[in-house]
Amino acid sequence: MRVNANTNGGAHISWASAQAKSAEVKGYPSFATRNQGFFSRHMRRISASLPRFDGGGNARYAEKEKLQRGRWGGGAGRWSGVMGRIGRMVWRMRLRFAVLFGFLFLVIAFYVTPLHRIYRRASFLGGGSKFVIIQAANLGGGVMEWKGPREWAIERDSLKNKRKYAKKWGYELEIVDMSTKKRYAHEWRESWEKVDTIRNAMRKYPDAEWFWWLDLNTFIMEPSYSLQSHIFNNLARTTYRDINAYNPLNITHPLTFPYLDAETRSPIGDGLASSINIIVPQDCSGFNLGSFFVRRSVWTDRLFDIWWDPVFYEQKHMEWEHKEQDALEHLYAAQPWVRPHVAFIEQRMINAFPPGACGEKGEDPRIHYREADRDFVLSNRLNRNAWERIKDWVSDSVKAAKEKRKEKQEKKNEKKDGEKGGLESCGYDCMGAAFRWAMHPKSILHFWFRLYFLYCLVLQGKDALPRPFGGASPSPSRASDGLLMPVYLRSS
Amino acid sequence: MHFAFPPRKTSHPPPYALRQTRSPLLRRSRLQFLALVALGCIAGLYILSKLFGSSSTTEAIPAGTPPVVIVTALNKSMGDAFNEKIKQNREAYAARHGYATFFPSTSDYPLGDSPASWSKVPSMRHAMALHPHSTHFMYLSPLALIMNPSLPLDAHILSPSRLESLMIVDQPVVPPDSVIKTFSHLKGDRIDMVLTQDKEGLGSEIFILRRGEWAKYLLDAWFDPLYRSYNFQRAEGHALEHIVQWHGTILAKLALVPQRIMNSYVKDEKGNNAGGVYQDGDFVAHFYGCDKAPRHCEEEMAPYFAKVAS
Repeated sequence: MRVNANTNGGAHISWASAQAKSAEVKGYPSFATRNQGFFSRHMRRISASLPRFDGGGNARYAEKEKLQRGRWGGGAGRWSGVMGRIGRMVWRMRLRFAVLFGFLFLVIAFYVTPLHRIYRRASFLGGGSKFVIIQAANLGGGVMEWKGPREWAIERDSLKNKRKYAKKWGYELEIVDMSTKKRYAHEWRESWEKVDTIRNAMRKYPDAEWFWWLDLNTFIMEPSYSLQSHIFNNLARTTYRDINAYNPLNITHPLTFPYLDAETRSPIGDGLASSINIIVPQDCSGFNLGSFFVRRSVWTDRLFDIWWDPVFYEQKHMEWEHKEQDALEHLYAAQPWVRPHVAFIEQRMINAFPPGACGEKGEDPRIHYREADRDFVLSNRLNRNAWERIKDWVSDSVKAAKEKRKEKQEKKNEKKDGEKGGLESCGYDCMGAAFRWAMHPKSILHFWFRLYFLYCLVLQGKDALPRPFGGASPSPSRASDGLLMPVYLRSS
Repeated sequence: MHFAFPPRKTSHPPPYALRQTRSPLLRRSRLQFLALVALGCIAGLYILSKLFGSSSTTEAIPAGTPPVVIVTALNKSMGDAFNEKIKQNREAYAARHGYATFFPSTSDYPLGDSPASWSKVPSMRHAMALHPHSTHFMYLSPLALIMNPSLPLDAHILSPSRLESLMIVDQPVVPPDSVIKTFSHLKGDRIDMVLTQDKEGLGSEIFILRRGEWAKYLLDAWFDPLYRSYNFQRAEGHALEHIVQWHGTILAKLALVPQRIMNSYVKDEKGNNAGGVYQDGDFVAHFYGCDKAPRHCEEEMAPYFAKVAS
């Protein structure tokens, strides 16, 4: 209140004292709080360091007229010149820039936002809604056997993979519960639900054209492939009609009975892509119905109708191990009307096998997965993310190197007849193991922790470790010799 | 920087003004116009091709194609004289209406061990391959005679309105009490197979098929080796009954017509088939079972041959 008693403008009051007084009144701490923040302290330095666009300092105005005064791009620093030039260029080419940004905007709108799904679904644009992926789930679950955690994990990952793919390209995904049920009066009919399932899907999606049956143990390795670009845009080239190209069942083709018409006797039917109604891959033992396409058509209705017949099955149920697969092979071989509408596709195109599957014939480029060729779908393998791929690549290359090493070793051993023992051979193995250990996905998370751990252990002894790892507890009795203890512990 | 005065003009002007640039052959405005016209033409062509492109897929039927082919598979064991008479009976009828005939031998087809009566199935397929543009194919048992050649097939059976009036709907496929019945709502123009029924089952000795993918499907399914090896009691007759009852896509194209329309039995052996017994004026007389031991086909047929000839 004494401050108030003195009128403002009193000659004996300096600015500093008034400031101090007012600070006191406000009750702030005794030291100055102003200019404490980073910006308030460095504002001037920052602003002074910013580039200037005014073509020179104000100081120049006070100078006499010189050649470059008031001009752009003078000696006022390279920065201002460059920025100014860019600014002017942008302004001059604003139309072009507008087009560019518009294009960028469209790209983002279509490919980053979900808009592209709508676009890809539409029947007149992407046509994604014309494809239905039928995914069999819960195979053999339910009554027959308990599923272990491994089966559940595979199922979950597989479904996730398919969902993502279908969503990405705007396809319909129909997940079907295939658990064994007493659904049919006749026991033979069980496990023939495949046909009924596809029929139901056809009823459910009346606008769809192609139906893709996929077993559960398949993974779409290259979700960037759309079905259209991978297969259907060029059906005549991606599929083949003449089974003689690859004929593991040795089916006589084409049929030569003189009572058949020319189209049925032709090895390729009418040869038009429009007459293809079913696309089946062949593995080393015949047709493979783990992944195949059917098209909605009257022909398909007929095939589905005749596919299961009690008279066929009564005679063949002991032989037909794969039920519907064998039945289809029989229909193909025995009923000529089927052939002109069946197309085959290389197994690798829609259901590549992992190496080792399918007999002991080894790698068949028509059947087995090759990562280098970026095959579309793989049987029996989890879809790996980017990190897992790197990891696999590392372990694969280590393995390959190891094998080479072994070969060399064997040659050496042949010469020296095994003089040297385990230690040398460990060299590569141990390195590989260490490398793999370091590359374990968890190790990235714990990398720094490990480094610290090693540092403590090697350089400073066990006591320096954090407590859970056998380090010393920060008890007062040991605080005296705790030279190596962290500072914050010693101070207490 | 600017000057106080504009620069002087030259004191020696050229005699006439030089054109700065050569005027392009096509001015910008004209180019735009041409581009628009071209675009319009392409769009127009595209729309036209979309509109009329599909119409070209309907195939042209060459002139002089017989609308109907009569097929009879002849068994050599019946004797050449008999077979010749049967042939003449069909040929006379076909000539009258511009139809074609086809008489293969039962031994022409790879039947294996199955009975020769199976040959009717591939013989129909064969006829379809030989006459790819004819619309209907009638299989006539070699034990049947056309008794009323004045009846054209089209008006008598096949025209959709006639077929709709003849069709027996909601009828058990295999009498008397099969749970599978013929469809109750069928259009005459959707029918691909016409046949009759006697008291025992479907009459597979005489039937009419319409050319098309369905007919191939039926014949090939019917001829499946697993049916032939199954030892059905009445061979292909029971096989047909089996596929008709088990497969909806076959039943849906099937029309049953009253027996006397094209399959009148001359003799009612078991006395329980009164509705199907031949009367004068019927289209076809069928001597069903006349090739079995006590009966004799030629003897039975002789008066009927005389009747047709008169």
